[in-house]
This record gives sequence, structure tokens and C-alpha cells, in this order.
Amino acid sequence: MAEKEGKEKWGMVIDLDICTGCQACVTACSMENNIPFVGEDEMAYGRGMQWMRIRRYWEGEYPEVAPAHEPMLCQQCGNAPCEPVCPVFASVHSEQEQINLQVYNRCIGTRYCANNCPFSARTFNWFDYELPAPMNSYLNPDVSVRRRGIMEKCTFCVQRIVKGRQNASASGREIADGEVVPACAQACPTDAIVFGNLSDPESRVSQIARSDRAFRELEELGTDSRVTYLKGGKNYGS
Amino acid sequence: MAVEAKPLYSSKATEHQETNAEELRKEHLMLDPMPRDEMNQMVMNAMHTTTKKYWVFLIGFGLAVVVLLFGAWGYMIANGMGVAGIRRPVFWGIFIVTFVFWIGISHAGTFVSAILRVFKAEFRRPFTRAAELMTTFGLAAGALYPLIHLGRVWVFYWMIPYPNARWLWPNFRSPLVWDFLAITTYLLSSTIYLFLPLMPDLAMARDRTTGWRHAIYKVLSLGWRGTEAEWLRLRKAIGIFAFAIIPVMFSVHTIVSWDFAVTMVVGWQSTIFGPYFIIGAILSGVSAVVTILYIIRSTMKNFDYFIRPEHFDGLGKLILIFSMAWAYFFFNEYILSWYGGEEALKQLLTLHATGPSAWVWYLMLICNVAIPWLFLWNKKIRRTPWIMFIITLLVNVGMFAERYTIIPLTLGHQRNPFDWGIYNPTIVEISIVLGTLCLFIFLYLLASRLIPLVPVWEVQEGQMSHTFRKVGKTEIPSVTELE
Amino acid sequence: MEKNIRMVLFKEDQIDQASEAIETLHHQGISEKDISIISGVPFSEKILGRPAAWTNIPIFGIAGALVGLVIASLFNFLTPHLYKMTVGGMPLTPIPTSIVVTFELTMLGLLISILLGVIIEMISPSSGPKGYHPKISDGYIGILFTCPAATDEKTCLELQDMGAEIVDPAEVKQP
Repeated sequence: MAEKEGKEKWGMVIDLDICTGCQACVTACSMENNIPFVGEDEMAYGRGMQWMRIRRYWEGEYPEVAPAHEPMLCQQCGNAPCEPVCPVFASVHSEQEQINLQVYNRCIGTRYCANNCPFSARTFNWFDYELPAPMNSYLNPDVSVRRRGIMEKCTFCVQRIVKGRQNASASGREIADGEVVPACAQACPTDAIVFGNLSDPESRVSQIARSDRAFRELEELGTDSRVTYLKGGKNYGS
Repeated sequence: MAVEAKPLYSSKATEHQETNAEELRKEHLMLDPMPRDEMNQMVMNAMHTTTKKYWVFLIGFGLAVVVLLFGAWGYMIANGMGVAGIRRPVFWGIFIVTFVFWIGISHAGTFVSAILRVFKAEFRRPFTRAAELMTTFGLAAGALYPLIHLGRVWVFYWMIPYPNARWLWPNFRSPLVWDFLAITTYLLSSTIYLFLPLMPDLAMARDRTTGWRHAIYKVLSLGWRGTEAEWLRLRKAIGIFAFAIIPVMFSVHTIVSWDFAVTMVVGWQSTIFGPYFIIGAILSGVSAVVTILYIIRSTMKNFDYFIRPEHFDGLGKLILIFSMAWAYFFFNEYILSWYGGEEALKQLLTLHATGPSAWVWYLMLICNVAIPWLFLWNKKIRRTPWIMFIITLLVNVGMFAERYTIIPLTLGHQRNPFDWGIYNPTIVEISIVLGTLCLFIFLYLLASRLIPLVPVWEVQEGQMSHTFRKVGKTEIPSVTELE
Repeated sequence: MEKNIRMVLFKEDQIDQASEAIETLHHQGISEKDISIISGVPFSEKILGRPAAWTNIPIFGIAGALVGLVIASLFNFLTPHLYKMTVGGMPLTPIPTSIVVTFELTMLGLLISILLGVIIEMISPSSGPKGYHPKISDGYIGILFTCPAATDEKTCLELQDMGAEIVDPAEVKQP
């Protein structure tokens, strides 16, 4: 079905040239979304649950090596490959926010969506993870805690989008640009992550997304991802 | 060509003629008729004979099913999928490999008994039932995997087409739902296809048993008497089935291949996967038939009369042909991926051939191509059952390696180097895989003593339609079309 | 007039005699529907000189396939509208994916209804004289016929001359 041009089409821009790879976004995301800690061994085995990861590559030959960081999260594709393969409609497209949702209650854990995600952005609850004692008090009541055997992934902090929309409609106005900020963008010390409504051409995120440095990850696959990365030459920083 | 003049009807010629007929009789089951009552007795004897060894094996495999399959599966359900070795990005591991493997094995029965029946290949007659049983039990073992691999198996029934409280039905656009429908269709239809030609033999068994067996056979044979109307009914039903089950069989493995081919995974997205998987499935299925026939022949009473070198010979030729066809599809897939030069695909192919798990890839090529091609052209080898047993086992090892290459080894090496990962199955996974193998063997052992493993009426029908016909100076076998 | 059901057996290789015997019965004034032939391997009606037997199996098959087709169409084109769900930028009821479901369910309907047809036809009453003898599955052709009680011995003896084995009426019973 052709996407209806609604009022909302949330998107993100991540400026790789000013990203320092500090992992603040990863931490903030984990706290906001009740992401369990899997422990050192499991993490090393590739079972980390983080919805946001920093991909770190080395560029150049020794001794002239420099790290390159790329925060990777669900790209909220418009034509998401993870969606149609799910037998029970657990991975669906949200008409209102124009993002890709995971319905935890409906998921039966075929992990098909995860295989079909070209960004490897989805994580699976391999076990039931217990939060150690004082940490369980930090659980965010706006986000459901997931149990073993289901898929999950970045939601663009949909609970904050909903809250923003409710606040706006309570005071009888549109959501203002910059009113909704996901945890990662909020925590980013260098302001490398910008979030906003892509359907509004004047929003900050739309303007930055038109930059010459803009590219989208695996754009050639035609998944119509909503996360734009900015990367220029080697003119900044290093 | 010079023709040597020989006196007609010389004593030498007659002698030659007799030995020729004698040899043909020894060679071909169809030319070596046996009175019906004796054949019934042979089959019933084979069914009733249970040695001590049989019980040891039966109970052993039964226990293995309980411990290896249900024990390990229960442990995994209680603790979570994490006890398996899968990890990001290899979300499907040896469970799906074995799933595809068993579904492949299950193509044997249909191929042997439907396609060979449609084309009236007479050598099929004594082992159609053995092959159909493989189909049913192979599917029973394979159909467990879509459940085993679920993260939340306790809600597996959400895949069944029925609406939830909000009138949301399953997603009929998902290949997994197609899988569900196709495997259900195939499981039901192959069981029916096993049952239909069994009816007259169940009636035969009913006439020769007492007690609980008699009661069971009486119910299952549906009061079969053998009237003209009943035979016609059976023939019509089998006729429709034989034609209808062939496209179903093709569709099942095609849909299994679409589980992979519809995705965006590098190395999976291929338009040739449907036929490539079908050919692989038939290769592994026909090989498994030979493996099973060897075991049946060497462990069950009287089966050296029914299963002869000619059958291994015929199936050996089929395996050679399918091995060639498999190689053709494999090469077709390989060269086009290689020529295309897409970076991720190129790296994937390099990884398969030179990476740390390259031995799996070479094992696949050696077992699926080198071994059949080197040995199966030789008639003597094809006619030696124990060599065929080893070769066909190896072919199935090769087919397992093929699926292993396609699934975990491909998933672990996608477009982003940061996400590459190596997968190794854990003891729990291996235990479950061995558990379903034990389940298959257990069911087969059980069935071999519960139903006549040879379709007696079909063999009798075949023997009736085969006669010797004198052509010139020799007698040659001729087949009459009784149907 | 009292009628008896009698049964005679021929060995399977006496198929020529068996077909002669059927003709003899006809001469005795026993009609086709009073004769039934049972055998351990299939013999076509032509071999025995009998009228063509008849079955509804193909009709069952077609009916089942149609039911499958209808169910598949409902799955494909009705159920997505009950709760509209957008996935992967696909249309709500795409034709290509519906073909897969349609094929599988049509075949499922066809194949299951054939089994149902076989079961229904097997348990519904059959025409012709009833009876069975375990020797049938040992390679005999059985000829069951209904004839007037007065002449049944004579007829049987006549068939015996042709090589038939007479079955004691007490042994002729349903399996």
C-alpha cells in the first residue's frame, strides 16, 4: 500500500564526522528501554541486547590507523524487509508514526525478521534476564519488559513520541520541532544525533538530511530507511 | 555386419536359452514369481519376527528419543533459546539445517512411488512402501523443527489460520505461513498416499492374524474384500494421488527454499533456489531410500528375495543422474554469483571455499559430486549393496553439509564486516538433531513390525504382467499392461 | 422364492476359466448384479467380461479442490481486510503471494477429499452379493453369486467341472 502522507514521518540524522564513539547513546538507550544486561561472556559471544550499537572500524594501515564509529540502530525502513516475513504480524508498519514496530505480545520467536534485516539491527531475548537488585528500580514504566524468546529492536523511543503528541494535543497545537527527543539523541554529548519529523521540510532533521554529506546505509537495497548518516572527507577532527 | 550361419535349434542354442531365462529369473524379482500364499507368508513372517536385538534397538532408540530429543528440547524450552549456539547474526542454525534435511529426505517416497508409478517403472514395486514410510516419518521428524526453533514454542498455534480476538489472522504473505500450509498438506497427503495402497495388504494381514493385530487391521482395512468396485476405486484414487502429489512435493521444497530466497540475505536471494533445492532433496531422498533398503534387506527376514541388486542398480543410476543435476544447479548458482562481482557475494563465496569452515564446503562437493561420479557409473558397484549403503550415506552427509553451508555459514557473513560471526552448534542442539534421527529410526522400526513392508498385491500384479516371450532364438522378458 | 449366496474360488492363474464361469452363470439366468467378483490382485472388468464398475472418487476430488479454493480465496482476500496491517510496503492483498496459498489449499482439499471419498464409498453399502473368504488374499478369484435355492447345488457343480473350488456357504461371511 502506498504510504499515506500523514503528519508524522519520524527520522534521524547521525553525523559520523562528529561522533566520538563514546557509547553514551548506547547507555541511554539501554536505560530508557529496559534493555537487559546479558553479562560479559554472552556479550562477547554476540548476544548483546543493545538496540543501539557503535560499529567500530579501523581505517588506514598501521601505524596510521584511526577508528571510525557508526552508531547502528533500526533504520525504521519504509519498505522493511523484516515485516512481511513474520507469520504472525509481530513486525508491522505503524501508519501513524511511519516507523517499524515490534509487537512483543504477538512475537513467537521465529527470528526470521532478524535474518532478513540487512542492518542486523534486531536483537533476540535468548534467556530471561534478571536485573540485579538496585537496578530493577530503574525500570522505565513506559516500556514493557520483554521475556525470553521474542525479538526486539529500536522503536525510535515511540513512548516519547506518543507522550509528545499527547502533550501537544492537550494544549491544542502541533508537535513542535525538537519537542520529541529519543534517549540517544538526548544523551549525545556532541549533538551528533538529530531527531525529528521528516514530513516537515523545515524541521531541523529534514534540513540536515539534505546535506551534501548525507548518505543512507545500504540505500541500494531500496528499503527506504529513515536514518541518514553524514560523513564527509577527513577534514574534521583527525 | 557378418552373421554367422548356425544350425537352427541346435542343442547348444536351447541350452543357452534356458540359462538365459534362468539368469533373468535370478536377476529380476518380476520374473521370479512366487505363489501368492507363500509370498504372504514371507511378508507376514518378516513382520512377526522380532529378535532380541530388535527389542534392544527399539527400546534403545525409544529411550534416546526421550532423552536426546524431548529431554534436550525441554531443557531448551525451560531456559530459552540461548542454550543453542545461535547468536547475532546467525539467527538460524543447525535446527533449520536439519529441518531442510528431513524435508529433503521426505521427497524420497513421493518421488519413488509417485513419479516411478506414473512412468510405470516396474522396478519400483517392492520398495514403494518402504520409501513412502520414509516420507511420512521424515516429515514427522522434520515438522518438529519449526516448533523446536521457535523462541516461544508454547504459542506455536498462533501460526495456525484462525483469528485472534481482534480478527487478526496470520500473515498469508509470510513464507513461514506458506511453509506451515505446505508441510501440513504434504504430511497429510503423503500419509494418505501411504495408506491407500496399503488397504489390500492390511486386508491380507487381517486374514492372517488374530487378537489385537486382527482388530487393528480390520478397522484400518475398511472392510476391504477386493471387489471390482473396490479395486477401481483404489486405482482411481491412487491415480489421482500420484499425479497430484508430484506438484505438492515440488511445492514443498520450493517453499522451503523460498524461506531463504525471498530474503535480502546475500547468498540466499536467488531465483534458482526452488529447483536447486528440489534436485538436492530428491538426491538426498533417493539416497536415503537406498540406505534404508540396505538396512531392511540385511536385518529383516526374507527381504533378500524382494530387494535385489537390480533395485540398487536402478536407484544407483537415479542417484548418478540427480548428482549431475545437482552439480549443474550448484554450478549455475555459483558462476552467476561469482561473475556478478557484487562485493559481499564475492567475499561470501571466498569464505565458503577458503574460510575456517571451508571443509564443510569441500565435504559437500566431495560427497555430492565426486563420490557419485567416481563410483556410480560402474555397474558392479551399483549392484553391491554394502558399497551403495556407504555411498548413499555419504551423499546424505554431503547434502547436510550443503544446507549447513547455505544457512549458518552464509548468515554469518553478510554485508557489514562488523556483524560477521561464527556459529558453532552446542551440545543441546546436536542432541536434539540426533534425537530426531533416533525418532525417525524408532518410528521406522516400529512400523516395520506393524504393517506389511512390501506391497504384496503390487508385486503380485507385477509378476503376473511379466512373462517371457520368445523372440528369435532367445526368450526375453515382456510386460503386459493389465491395467 | 428363496435365494442363496454361493461362492466358488478359482486360482489366479485360472483366469480364463473364471471368465468362462461368469459366462456360464449368465447362461443360467443369473444377472450381472447378482454376481460379484473378488480378487487379491486387481483384474479389470474387460478381462473378466464384466460391465464397467463405477466410482465417484473424481467427483469427490473436484468438490474438495473447490472447497480448498474457496477457503484459500477467503484467506487471501478477506482476512487481511478484517484487521488491516501494512507490512514491508506490500499491498494488502497481493496476487503473487495469494497464488502460493491458493495452490496449497486447493491441493489439500483435493487430496483429503479423495481419502474421504474412499472411506465413504468403502463403508456405504455395495451392490452385488456380499461375502468374503480369507483365501482371496492367498491368490484366489472368488465368484459370489445369488441364485435360487433350488438350483444352487447344480450350478456349483457345473462350475466345479470348470475347475472351481466350492466354498461351503457357512464359510462365506464378511471379513
